[in-house]
Amino acid sequence: MIQCKTSKAIGGMGHSLKRKEDARFIQGKGHYVDDIKLPGMLYMDIVRSPYAYARIKSINIEEAMKVPGVVAVVTGRDLEKYNLHWMPTLMSDTQMVLPTDTVMYQSQEVAAVIATTKYAARDGREAVRVQYEPMKPVIDPFKALDPSAPVLRSDKPDKKDNHIWNWKVGDKAKTDALFETADVVVKEQMHIPRIHVASIETCGCVADYDKVNNHLTMYMTTQAPHAIRTVIALVAGHVGLTEEKVRVISPDIGGGFGGKVPVYPGYVIAIAVSFLVGKPVKWIEDRSENLQADSFARDYHITAEMAGTKDGKILGTRFKVLADHGYTDASANPSKFPTGMFSIATGSYDYDTTYMECDAVYTNKPPGGVAYRCSFRVTEAVHAIERITDRFAFEVGKDPADLRMQNFIKKEDFPWKSPTGWIYDSGDYHAGLEKAMEAVGYHQLRREQAEKRAKGELMGIGISTFTEIVGAGPSKDFDILGIKMFDSAEIRVHPTGKAIARFGTKSQGQGHETTYAQIIAEELGIPAENIAIEEGDTDTAPYGLGTYASRSTPTAGAAAAIAARKLRDKARKIAAYLLEVSEDDLEWEPGKFFVKGAPDKAKTIQEIVFAAYTNHPQGMEAGFEATHYYDPPNLTFPSGAYICVVDIDRETCEIKVRRFVAIDDCGNIINPMIVQGQVHGGLTQGIAPAMYEELIYDESGNILNGTLMDYLVPTAVESPNWETGHTITPSPHHPIGAKGVGESPTVGAPPAIANAIVDALSPLGITHLDIPITPFKVFKALKEKGVF
Amino acid sequence: MNATISKTFHVPHPLEDVWANITNPEKIVVCVPGASLTEMVDADNFKGEVELKFGPVKARYSGDIGFLERNADTHSMKMKGAGTDVKGKGGADMLLNATMSEKDGGTEVNVTMDVTVQGMLAQFGSRLVTDATSHVFDQFVNNFKNQLDGKEVSGSLSAGAMVGSMLKGMFGGKS
Repeated sequence: MIQCKTSKAIGGMGHSLKRKEDARFIQGKGHYVDDIKLPGMLYMDIVRSPYAYARIKSINIEEAMKVPGVVAVVTGRDLEKYNLHWMPTLMSDTQMVLPTDTVMYQSQEVAAVIATTKYAARDGREAVRVQYEPMKPVIDPFKALDPSAPVLRSDKPDKKDNHIWNWKVGDKAKTDALFETADVVVKEQMHIPRIHVASIETCGCVADYDKVNNHLTMYMTTQAPHAIRTVIALVAGHVGLTEEKVRVISPDIGGGFGGKVPVYPGYVIAIAVSFLVGKPVKWIEDRSENLQADSFARDYHITAEMAGTKDGKILGTRFKVLADHGYTDASANPSKFPTGMFSIATGSYDYDTTYMECDAVYTNKPPGGVAYRCSFRVTEAVHAIERITDRFAFEVGKDPADLRMQNFIKKEDFPWKSPTGWIYDSGDYHAGLEKAMEAVGYHQLRREQAEKRAKGELMGIGISTFTEIVGAGPSKDFDILGIKMFDSAEIRVHPTGKAIARFGTKSQGQGHETTYAQIIAEELGIPAENIAIEEGDTDTAPYGLGTYASRSTPTAGAAAAIAARKLRDKARKIAAYLLEVSEDDLEWEPGKFFVKGAPDKAKTIQEIVFAAYTNHPQGMEAGFEATHYYDPPNLTFPSGAYICVVDIDRETCEIKVRRFVAIDDCGNIINPMIVQGQVHGGLTQGIAPAMYEELIYDESGNILNGTLMDYLVPTAVESPNWETGHTITPSPHHPIGAKGVGESPTVGAPPAIANAIVDALSPLGITHLDIPITPFKVFKALKEKGVF
Repeated sequence: MNATISKTFHVPHPLEDVWANITNPEKIVVCVPGASLTEMVDADNFKGEVELKFGPVKARYSGDIGFLERNADTHSMKMKGAGTDVKGKGGADMLLNATMSEKDGGTEVNVTMDVTVQGMLAQFGSRLVTDATSHVFDQFVNNFKNQLDGKEVSGSLSAGAMVGSMLKGMFGGKS
């Protein structure tokens, strides 16, 4: 049971408050970028490359300009005149806005058509004639490093190959020595497939440049409005768009999942066109453009190894990664972490030896990769460690649950320093797994499995006991383009005791309007329903780095708590003044200060706030407002224990997820219902790459599943009944002990499912299958083993 | 993406007549549904156009076609075609191998066609392109037979039939 400190009327932490934002969403009153219509607005559509790699011989816009309503066609040559044809990526790589000579991936932007209606823009797009000279593309990342491979980034004068960077961490010599001598060593080659966030709302913007006032208002689908404002100022400052002349507004967002962190060329072209013609320009991607051209996620090829003793003690791990970044490194990682938080791959286990290395390469595929509902490559890391742990358990003949229990970091050993240098803040991994095993009926299931195996039936049980690393991050190490990854909250309480609070983050469905209000309600005792939450307007909100990497609660949530505490300190002073007692004589209970031993001598927070505007003590600043920029001292480390049970039809190879139990530990819970909702959504996005989703390219670089007809996003039909629960291990360093939960299920679910499927097939000698594990993949594996 | 189609058909005409038709650009091109010969470059090379409809997608390819080999002794030939969509939506390459031999008082023709498609059409995935190409091929054979029989050849593309065939392919399993 979650203990609530506040009454239901106040609705602080722990209450399952209904989401305040849902009133407008369920009534169709959400306000998205595509709902914005401005007088004189023009529409933009984009001509895209059919080839993965080709020289542009010519672009003929003559016919397009004859289409009624078309007012302009913009090419790379046009942007080149203003030096706007290239832009930086968040990882300080470079990316074309529009090409002048060469296209580098299928569906790359080639030209933009501007028209008075969206239909005219699309007709114009169809009429643009581009002549290409196709070249042989580099699609396979392993071949990209071959000396015979063409150097794709010939735009970079010093580039002699397709290698982007090498990253390593850990003790190589010690690890290599361990693997030489260890009794048991297991190794698997894994691919974490290239997938797409496929959010319900595609990307888009309305760029509105006001020539008279030299001011740009940019309405856009972004998870990080302030960072975008700064990027715009850095890129376009030389043409007069300095930061005070730029306002970025991120209205309601229909799902982001990391895909709305990067700056896409379409945004930049829209700004450039609006700047040149002095009219608002709207650009909204269609579904296929979103899937084919926007930044992908994952695409890590991982060689995972584990060394240990015959009785199941894990002694060390070694990971070698090949990262396919496509045409440019457009990851959305903190600057110092090219592989994000991949070094969390040592997992939930107590050992001290590891070595990890990653090489990133360019290929003729769309750029990326974004942190899809994942705190920067944690999904890849967790998959690698949880799969190889199961592989190790299989090798030493131990039950994977027992082996995990044997190797978990003990709760008394926290804070615990990982072999790659992270300080895990808190955790109780044994309790989580015990709870999950009890919920699923683990031992009974193993008995059932033994009976079924005797009859030749395929039933599998898979475990994933993951440790996440979220809440980027402490300013010592974490920045994006140099901007430190703090976040902010500003609370203004009105004279009548109602409040508005603004944040540097941006909800895309997470329910910030409810949870932030609950945090403030918890600290100030003002009912959550009386606290309006506003995000996404850079003119009004305090500066922040936005919402991704499960960072909103760890950073902005903490900022809200601390800003509220500043106000509570002020309230204490005012209460002491009003009650004519010393501050030390006052005691707080949610919603009021009262005199110790005389509970009826009290002032409610509403009375105190009113006094702050009408009767404040002499010498005190009037008003009731506070701002806090929170720089977290550490990251937070949510964890979870997931158990999946599958049945595989031996004839059709169909995989049925019979049970899925998810026990999450995200520290203190702000709103249990929202956490459960997050977990349901995240688990569904976890089953997606495990069983359905992968962006597939052929050898010519054509995407073979560039529509939702072929790219299988799971729906309610494919989703099993998610059984959720929690353990609570508060974060010791976070003001409200919360850790963040949005990403845990997406990160933790795929290895649980993969482990269950491999477990089902293990009697046939199958030790690994790459996700997505489809019936066809199972069929092929069974056929190889002579079943068919 | 790649599609390889191999077909064998029989025509009740003498080998030499079949060979003469199949190696004559002016005769062979009109048998390809939606195709037209636009220019003869030399004896082995010519230019042509092919129009294809895949449901809502219409693609007109314009390109170079040439005989790589015409061996009258072995009755085998190789043709290569490379075209790009006139709207710049992609391209297609084709390599065709054909051999002919006398059989049952007529001629048996073995044809293998490798088609590589890039761009929008390729995105439809292999199931549609292979089926559609196979359907075009069947129409081609039909036209070719009619031509040998001295009947009029319809060069136009029956798009409706193709979509029907594609849908059948998608939902009815492959033949």
